[in-house]
Amino acid sequence: MDLLKVALYLLVYPGLLFLFVYSTFVEWVDRKLYARFQHRRGPLYTGRAGLLQPIADFVKLMAKEDIVPSSADKPLFNAVPVLALAAVLTSGLLLPVWHFTTGIVSATSFPGDIIVMAYLLSLPTFAYFLAGWASASMYASIGAVRVLTLLFSYEVPMFLAILSPAVMAGSWRMAEIARFYQLHPGYLPVNIIAFAVAILALQAKLERLPFDIPEAETELVGGTFTEYSGRKLALFRLLTDVQMVTGAGFLATLFLAGFPGGLVPGFLWFIAKTLFIVLILSAIRAVTARIRIDQMVNFSWSYLAPAALLQLVAVIIVKGYLP
Amino acid sequence: MSLRLGAMLPEVFRHLFKRPATVLYPFEKNTVPARLRGRPVMDPDKCIGCRMCERDCPAEAIEVTQESETRTDDGKVKRRFSMVVYVDRCAHCGQCEEICPAKPDKAIKLNEFFEEAAFDRGALKIVYK
Amino acid sequence: MSETFVLPVGPQHPALKEPTSFRFKVDGEYIVDADLRLGYNHRGMEKGCEARTYVQDIYLLERVCGICSNAHMTCFAQGVERLMGIEPPPRGVFIRCLMGELERIHSHLLWLGVAGHEIGFDTFFMYTWRDREVVMDLLEMVSGNRVNYGMQTFGGVRRDLDGMQIKTLLEGIAALKARTPYYLNLGATEPTMVARIAGVGKLPREKAIELTAAGPTTRASGVDFDVRKDDPYAGFGDLIPFTIVTDNGCDVLARVVVRAKEMMASYDIMEFILRNLPAGEVRTKAPRKVPEGETVSRVEAQRGELIHYIRANGTDKPDRVKVRAPTLANWPSTLYMLRGAYLADIPIIMAAIDPCLSCTDRMAVISDVRGGEKVWDWETLRQYGIEFHRRRGIRP
Ligand code: SF4
Ligand code: SF4
Repeated sequence: MDLLKVALYLLVYPGLLFLFVYSTFVEWVDRKLYARFQHRRGPLYTGRAGLLQPIADFVKLMAKEDIVPSSADKPLFNAVPVLALAAVLTSGLLLPVWHFTTGIVSATSFPGDIIVMAYLLSLPTFAYFLAGWASASMYASIGAVRVLTLLFSYEVPMFLAILSPAVMAGSWRMAEIARFYQLHPGYLPVNIIAFAVAILALQAKLERLPFDIPEAETELVGGTFTEYSGRKLALFRLLTDVQMVTGAGFLATLFLAGFPGGLVPGFLWFIAKTLFIVLILSAIRAVTARIRIDQMVNFSWSYLAPAALLQLVAVIIVKGYLP
Repeated sequence: MSLRLGAMLPEVFRHLFKRPATVLYPFEKNTVPARLRGRPVMDPDKCIGCRMCERDCPAEAIEVTQESETRTDDGKVKRRFSMVVYVDRCAHCGQCEEICPAKPDKAIKLNEFFEEAAFDRGALKIVYK
Repeated sequence: MSETFVLPVGPQHPALKEPTSFRFKVDGEYIVDADLRLGYNHRGMEKGCEARTYVQDIYLLERVCGICSNAHMTCFAQGVERLMGIEPPPRGVFIRCLMGELERIHSHLLWLGVAGHEIGFDTFFMYTWRDREVVMDLLEMVSGNRVNYGMQTFGGVRRDLDGMQIKTLLEGIAALKARTPYYLNLGATEPTMVARIAGVGKLPREKAIELTAAGPTTRASGVDFDVRKDDPYAGFGDLIPFTIVTDNGCDVLARVVVRAKEMMASYDIMEFILRNLPAGEVRTKAPRKVPEGETVSRVEAQRGELIHYIRANGTDKPDRVKVRAPTLANWPSTLYMLRGAYLADIPIIMAAIDPCLSCTDRMAVISDVRGGEKVWDWETLRQYGIEFHRRRGIRP
């Protein structure tokens, strides 16, 4: 029975199958929202209301010719998309959903998993850097440098931001943190600043407007992905979608009290809360222009990081005065 | 003017609940205005064979040929002309219609047809006899 | 990284809507030097004009540019009219002017959208282009086509307006007039947008004059030059009131502001025209042959001063036609603005002059780096092309 549960956990929910299907759905939601914000219709024909469009795009890209530039570092160039995808898929397994209770420590839920999760979500960024570097193309190299610069500017605020709910709950384990807020929902609004910082950092992590600086179509053609095509590009795109799901799930766990109630209600909570975060991410994308890399660095060190620090101090004070 | 964070937010959320502006073209079509400059159509019954259209067409899309010459009983010569219009070359400028001197009605006119795409170029060579 | 390297932008690049080629010497994210190569889009139109009659030429020249087609048509038509010694009737003049302003609106809205897209603000792009449909529909209603309106001819315009059309035009203009301030506002208050356009692409007033910038680019540097004021045509000056728009910002933001305010000025001009349309004919009869002579005709196109030089030799075909499109006048200042800018600002600085390459392109003689300049005639060029593709296994 337990084995079956583990297998289901790995392969179905929240494992491979669910992550794949749900991430394409999330991409559809994102595209549809973005289109409607812009007074357009968005995907329309493939499947009902274009629901299957992301899958169709994925299949189409998989079938396209896959070109490796002759001067590229070939092993690295080929390995990077797979490794990065593996990292985000693993991060999906750490999300505290139905499989375990706070009582039992397991391979997917242990004290400190919050840090592991944050690192797993950062791995794709390094992959992007390596991808750009291995491409040996001018645009990709500039993109790669920008990826790293971007990483240094959003990573610290991100880590500071996820610290506050953890400090508040007094645990380094996501399941326990979620449990804490389920029991005391009144503490949720305390973390509002950290939530905002984390949302912005997640947007930057996903390289979406206004932070799509490394990809910047009109400047760098496709940035780090300029030389990627066919299957590998499909994997990168899938990876971004999965990252959006796990990233949204991560924030929902920490800032929106997780997904209580076992299998079915937990599943519904998961959908509702991640979609809420995706809505915010789409809205940000719709109302901003792409900022420059120097402006990004300035922005995160003069606003994001101090805001996250302020939040941390606030949490510590609140915690000190409360029983 | 001062900066406003998310200045466009109210606008985009308003549009979330509006009907999208996109027209689903092949399925829905906007009505074209009257006097659209579409495809040139020639009426051989009205043409007097002056070849003004052929001479003025900037795209050299028109060829006029004499088909027949008949002499009526009262001694007048009556000629009939045919025309080839290469719609793929036509620039839809309407100069042919403008210059045509046939009276009382012009022998060549632009209709309101605008969906000229075709798989076969031959389909765009149109003969009026 | 203190080494510099050369970043090619073009002939194919997402920031360019038409082919041209920039070579940027960059140091990390800074541009040290910029260089430009033209000649990818040369279509031999000036030569083509010499082989066609004036009537055909007016449609050929209309197609120099899809965006400022009416400006080219007007410019050529009024030059030839001057040579013929005819004048359009007042109603024709008014409608000619109306077309010019309608075209300015569509072009400026298009430009606003493109500028938004270049800085990644696609929502802005979608909204402006949606609203541009209003003016496109008006143009289609008046002229029978969305692009290449074919309205101007020697001695006036080709179509008249009826009462119903005037009403629809006034309604459309009122709707756009209500909408345009929103974009102006947005451009000046949306923080990410302001961050990308304020202080970017500085072109001081003296430089604008020295480098002969044209159109909104020069007016955004505080130079009050506008052909409509300095060399009035199509009723400007005496019949139709007009106010010139300038701004002293000297940056991309100022260019946005100038264009948005110019649109507001155009709405006023058009409303004046539609409310005071004189009665009568819209065109006078023009001869087919043009007496010997030469003339320079100028028009304020959306992108700046457009010049046509026409030399007639008494036949029905021109002896020489020369087109100087505004973009050509703006290239030197673009290169000036690009030097020392950020890499990320390349697209928006380039877009800020509203470049139109097909209007501008010259035939280029390529100096081979391996030595020597070559001038190839048509046959050699063709043979080279066939060989080039055959070597790559493509059947000619
Ligand atoms: S519309 Fe213009 S291009 Fe077309 S056939 Fe008539 S004259 Fe020629
Ligand atoms: S101009 Fe009119 S009458 Fe003359 S040849 Fe053409 S269609 Fe016939």
